Amino acid sequence: MLALFRELLAYRALIHILVARDLKARYRGSVLGLLWTLLNPLLHMGIYALLFSVYMRSATERYAVFLLCGLLPWIWFSASLMMGATSIVEGGSLLKKVFFPAHVLPTVTVTANFVNFLLGIPILFTFLVLYGVQMGLPVLLLPFIIVCQFAFTLGLTFMLAAVSVHYRDIPHILGHFLTFWFFLSPIVYPATQVPESYRFILLLNPFVPFVVAYQDILLYNIYPSPGVCGGMIGISLGVLLCGLWIFTHLRWSFAEEI
Amino acid sequence: MIAVEVENLSKRFRRQTVQPYTTIKSAIVDVFWRRRSGEAATFEVLSGITFSVKQGQALSIIGRNGSGKSTLLKVLAGIYRADHGRIRVHGRIGALLELGTGFHPEFSGRENVFINGIILGLSKKEIRQRFDQIVQFAGLEGFIDEPVKTYSSGMYMRLGFAVAVHADLDILLIDEILAVGDVAFQLKCFDKIAEFRQHGKTIILVSHDLASAEQLSDEVIWLDRGIMREQGKPQRVISHYRWDMLGQEERRGLSEHH
Repeated sequence: MLALFRELLAYRALIHILVARDLKARYRGSVLGLLWTLLNPLLHMGIYALLFSVYMRSATERYAVFLLCGLLPWIWFSASLMMGATSIVEGGSLLKKVFFPAHVLPTVTVTANFVNFLLGIPILFTFLVLYGVQMGLPVLLLPFIIVCQFAFTLGLTFMLAAVSVHYRDIPHILGHFLTFWFFLSPIVYPATQVPESYRFILLLNPFVPFVVAYQDILLYNIYPSPGVCGGMIGISLGVLLCGLWIFTHLRWSFAEEI
Repeated sequence: MIAVEVENLSKRFRRQTVQPYTTIKSAIVDVFWRRRSGEAATFEVLSGITFSVKQGQALSIIGRNGSGKSTLLKVLAGIYRADHGRIRVHGRIGALLELGTGFHPEFSGRENVFINGIILGLSKKEIRQRFDQIVQFAGLEGFIDEPVKTYSSGMYMRLGFAVAVHADLDILLIDEILAVGDVAFQLKCFDKIAEFRQHGKTIILVSHDLASAEQLSDEVIWLDRGIMREQGKPQRVISHYRWDMLGQEERRGLSEHH
């Protein structure tokens, strides 16, 4: 497992090239280019703001910026899983013909979406300022939450990418599954609005600590509870190790199965 | 000094006659059906392969289609894992297998040179230093920024060969690729291979072109249905192989006449 990390480090130049390439390719040929990185979350935000704030009159304060706090991390997370699940299958021509470090492929997907996420951070802060949100020391925890989410996303992407080689149904199911997951996470509504008797659903959802932590430090200027922090660390480490384990075990089957 | 040592190597493949991959449905069905029908069907592609190559020597592997030549190279390159046996490699090994040796079709020639170079163990800086040389050797000066999917098969192969010979490999695995280039480029490759050997580098080559195998190599291995039929001086092994093929043709001819 450690060897795998060392190998990833050794191939960071390769990861760098592939990520740059991925980002360039994504918006090539589109008139607005990189602006789409900013427009995508804003359009999502606009739709949900109209739905929940105007039509359904949600009582949540500063709803637009509340949404953005959860949406940006979610887009990073879900886009990584969607693209990552097919990364090994689509990288087939590389894996079959030369010795190619397979774990570089899912890492590239997660990193490329992470860069997209980072590009969205300035908009988030612009909105926070526009809405007059008071920010304090808790904001300094942002890098910590991001690191945890990176590990969590990477671990899950490793799992999906490896298992999708053997079960090609997974990328098809994943889109629907992520839609359910999105609405079961307190992104478009605050966690406090979930009725007491349904709270257990939040406890079962591994994405919840991350959203709650982002909202706490950015919007409410408070430190996340120890439970939330512990949850993030536990989930991210556990999922990353589990993902790496599965990936390493299935790795040799890739060249033969693709 | 021995460069590559292979001991009692064998490799099995899963039969993939009907379905090249599993879906969740077939996995569930398999739990109930295949268990009873015994092990999933496998067949042995290579068995009991033992040989060694000294540093600075060139080894050719010959044999009919499906005799396991390419699989053997893929196992040596680290793309497939052997089921049994031991492989010891002393030095940096790199492979040129088939066409489009690990190129990404959507990426430009330039990007692919970097990706390929890093996989073969060069640093970004080293690639930058050799970049012009590589492009010149491949004769692709005007096309290096085009996506490689627009390349002809000869251009593909030239670029792959150019990167590989500039990558400071100690051991080079080559599969059939010389057959694609035109005569001028083939001569260039032969020169480069000769130069390679003068520098004490090792070459393992799969070829259907018996004349060039005889000319290029110090030793020849004849593979027949995954088993080593003969190993030795090029002239002797190749003439035995020719006799064998002729014999089969004759038998086939006779049975057709009667």
